Amino acid sequence: MNEYRFEDLKIGQEESFTVTVTEEMMRSFLDLSGDINPLHNDAEFAKEQGYHDKVVYGLLTTSFLSKLAGVYLPGKYCLLQGVDVKYSRPVYVGDILIVKGIVEELHPSVQRAVIKVYIQNQDEKKVLKGKIEVGFLNVK
Amino acid sequence: MTREYVYEKMNEIFRTVFDDEDITLHDETNAEDIEDWDSLEQINLIVAIENEFGMMFDMSEVADLANVGEMVDLILSKDKE
Repeated sequence: MNEYRFEDLKIGQEESFTVTVTEEMMRSFLDLSGDINPLHNDAEFAKEQGYHDKVVYGLLTTSFLSKLAGVYLPGKYCLLQGVDVKYSRPVYVGDILIVKGIVEELHPSVQRAVIKVYIQNQDEKKVLKGKIEVGFLNVK
Repeated sequence: MTREYVYEKMNEIFRTVFDDEDITLHDETNAEDIEDWDSLEQINLIVAIENEFGMMFDMSEVADLANVGEMVDLILSKDKE
């Protein structure tokens, strides 16, 4: 786990990690969200709508930003204060995603970093893009 | 930059941050006048103000602001630097 504090960050600084979306993740997300919508749970229904398979929940994909902020950028001292994302393409079970953050703004007066985020699939196509706003815990 | 111009932009920022088109700011407006104005929204306001006016404040400059009038004074003083 990274332990960047506000003072350690620089504009343009990057962190990323790779994750494969699994069937188990879909089941866990269904359990915690209660979203039984067939687009995410019924492959035949999803195919009838023009998708290759059942579509991974957008908020499941978004949840990887929690790991990006809390483990990688800035890591241990992160206080996630805002998330603003758009979805560009569907994600399917088995997709290998690269989750990436780039420091875009630093506001020393309020110890706020704005991090541009995007997630791309194994075909290097962006499936999510947006920004997160993070503050920092005052831990010695 | 005139005080009127700063107020025009500040009204826009506050209306956007608090999602309330009825907000009209005065020198004496403070956190007790706007229900959702808490510590996190204070950060959002400062960041929006820094981006709008293209200036960065020091932590000490924004720590003790008592009301909108003092915030506007700070923006105008920074503009003259």
